[in-house]
Amino acid sequence: MKPSQMMSEIESEAAGLRDADEAALIEFLEKAEQKHGFIPRDISEEVGRLLEVKLERLRRIQGKLESTIRRDVQEHVNHWRSEEGNLIMVLHAIQNQHGYIPREVAMELSRELGVKLARIYEVITFYHYFKLQPPGAHSVTICNGTACYLKGSGDLINELRSQLGIVEGQTTPDRQIHFDTVRCIGCCGMAPAMVVDGRTCGRVRSSDIAGHIDGLRAKKEAVA
Amino acid sequence: MKPLTRQDLVELAARPATDPPAWIRVQLDTGGIAAGAETVHAALEHARVEQHLPFALLRTGSVGYSFADPVIEVQTPLMPRVLYGRMTPELAPRLLDEHVAGRRLLDDHVIATRQRGLVLDAPVSQILVLDTGSEATNKTEFFQFSFQEELKRRGLSERVQVVRALDLGIYDEGAVVQLLPGGVTYTNVLAPDVARIVGESIEAGRVLDDLLWKTPDKQVRIVLRHCGKIDPDSTDDYLRRAEGYQAFARAVFDLTPEQVIAELKVSALRGRGGAGFPTWMKWQLTRAQPVGQRYVICNGDEGDPGAFMDRSVLESDPHAVLEGMMIAAYAMGASQGYFYIRAEYPRAVERVQLALVQARELGLLGRNILGSGFDFDAKIRLGAGAFVCGEETALIASIEGRRGSPSPRPPYPSVRGLWGKPTAINNVETLAIVPAILLRGGAWFASHGTDTSKGTKVFAVTGKVRNAQLVEVPMGTTLSEIVFDVCGGVLDGHEIKAVQTGGPSGGVIPVHLLDTPVSYETLQQLGSIMGSGGMLVMDKGDSMVEAGIQNGDIAIIKSSDTAETGEIVVALIDDTEATLKRLRKKGASIALEPANAAYETRIFGPDRVKIQGRLAGLYRRYN
Repeated sequence: MKPSQMMSEIESEAAGLRDADEAALIEFLEKAEQKHGFIPRDISEEVGRLLEVKLERLRRIQGKLESTIRRDVQEHVNHWRSEEGNLIMVLHAIQNQHGYIPREVAMELSRELGVKLARIYEVITFYHYFKLQPPGAHSVTICNGTACYLKGSGDLINELRSQLGIVEGQTTPDRQIHFDTVRCIGCCGMAPAMVVDGRTCGRVRSSDIAGHIDGLRAKKEAVA
Repeated sequence: MKPLTRQDLVELAARPATDPPAWIRVQLDTGGIAAGAETVHAALEHARVEQHLPFALLRTGSVGYSFADPVIEVQTPLMPRVLYGRMTPELAPRLLDEHVAGRRLLDDHVIATRQRGLVLDAPVSQILVLDTGSEATNKTEFFQFSFQEELKRRGLSERVQVVRALDLGIYDEGAVVQLLPGGVTYTNVLAPDVARIVGESIEAGRVLDDLLWKTPDKQVRIVLRHCGKIDPDSTDDYLRRAEGYQAFARAVFDLTPEQVIAELKVSALRGRGGAGFPTWMKWQLTRAQPVGQRYVICNGDEGDPGAFMDRSVLESDPHAVLEGMMIAAYAMGASQGYFYIRAEYPRAVERVQLALVQARELGLLGRNILGSGFDFDAKIRLGAGAFVCGEETALIASIEGRRGSPSPRPPYPSVRGLWGKPTAINNVETLAIVPAILLRGGAWFASHGTDTSKGTKVFAVTGKVRNAQLVEVPMGTTLSEIVFDVCGGVLDGHEIKAVQTGGPSGGVIPVHLLDTPVSYETLQQLGSIMGSGGMLVMDKGDSMVEAGIQNGDIAIIKSSDTAETGEIVVALIDDTEATLKRLRKKGASIALEPANAAYETRIFGPDRVKIQGRLAGLYRRYN
């Protein structure tokens, strides 16, 4: 192959890179290395330039995220600013917004309140109600308080385990359904009770579980 | 909204609202809603509009009959007022057709009144029948038919309807009959009695003394006085139909703080959160601190599994709790209050939040309330799922925004509490009682109960009981009266084994001690506690150890390769399966006994089982 022909080929190869994602870039580099025995300078420069463009874009997205986080956190904090001991109420507001307490938000909260991150985590991890992992799109919670326990919440838990293939505290791999237990929701008169997406159901039988799960899955399809 | 004045309250007291002639109240607390009360409400609204029926559809809290949720109450002209349980949306159109328009009660849903009559002073219009004996030989339909036939024979079937009831509040007394509207109730009715009842009671208006149920209802409703009767979201209802804020007005205008405390002392009210510390003394101790900022906290961190009375009261009568808090604040000179409520109780939070907003609009919170010169405001703080935060010092730490670690006492919160200031922490139920004491007098309250435990107590009776519900009884009522007479005992074919009071930190009371009258002292003597009032009924199918050792508990094992018969051990079977069981040595073989009759004892040769250790303790996490 003539050098000039090779160069134009490399140029055209590099030109096709503009829309490639990371995996494609790596594959392309490996192919170039196999083909030429080395990575031609034109290609490495083009890949480098593309990466920088991507990085810049990512930085802009991150900046945007951070300013949103900052704005949200400031909003929550301002609402509770004048109140002493507001940390727990701000954490409630954050969890209501995100469904959990994202690490970046906790960090921003630490800056905004002037409270050490360790102390914020001390509070988050102490209280069972606060979550550090994003919940599933839907949630199923079985009450395992003593009244529900006596009325057979164990059977409901087993049924959910086998239906969902996960144990309590976990989210299905498709992040659709989060399954958890709770100590007592004060519906002991309706035991055993469970909460499906915030709706409390009483006197639940194992045979009802499949219907509830199907209901949630159907909701998901309706949305999609 | 125009702020209320003292004069407004005087006028409200003189002219309480009158009920509209026809109404249906739907009981919408968390329990009712879980059972579908919202859909029942929607169906009734739909049917009402469609059929152009003139009645008011009202929302209330819960009367406490959890076993029958969703519950509605119906009042229409020329009909007795009745509660219907286990309502469904499908029943709504039928209810309007038959009851509201046709003046006939629905079968199988009526919950009979507990205010039973002893005289027949009005013509009988309905006969409620229910066989309260064994379910296997239920004769309710037979009695319904017999009464109908007898009425037909005497030409009364047009005038008197025979209705199968859902619940009569009487159990194991054979066939029970209640005559409406008076409420005269006959028990252990046999087939030959049918003709007598129709002939003598219905035709001639004579009460049959040999059948008459004379036992008065065990319940006395003080805490639950408005629950299920008023709309918790309506200040108007509270002001006009529940003597709302009259007790507070009496306190700030007619009494000094010392007099309020003195009235509480006469009532001998003790904290309903569990420990039973005299409420007046708590207030007195806080008041005795040097002048300055003081706080009053309502403890709504109801954490004991099986207990739901605080949730129900907050959801059904939030203004009463607020009024109690305001009176407490006046008595001890506090200007700021906090409601600490579990985040797991969103509806209770919502309703208290609304009550606070409404009270502020009406000038019942803020500066110079009702022109009295007294300033007070209250806010909500949410719990976040930590059982320990029901403890005073941990609760204070949580309101301060810290992790809820308890701290040693003294100093008690009444000396150094929230942000180091004198603080009184009162339970929801305690505060809900306070306005009633101020209106009726401490002596009236003290006339209920025992020598050392005065007044009434609300219990949430749940577990393997026939009718799970909220029960309010005078102190001194026995456990078996609560479980059997009020709640109907355990289900058919089961045998009661024990009752747990006081939640996880309380105790399990075996069946031979159920005749113990309930009071702070007696329960303590039994090694249990009153706690906040959860009462869990266990039947013999449930293993005591399982109720004691729960999923997720950490067993503390003392390492050992030997153990005695009867000890709970960790055993390794065939080097693969580890299990916690009770050990029995049977000759050369070893039996591993489960603590639940549902599982079988397993017997192994000695070479297959290795003892790993003996159970020394249990560690349980509540979060």
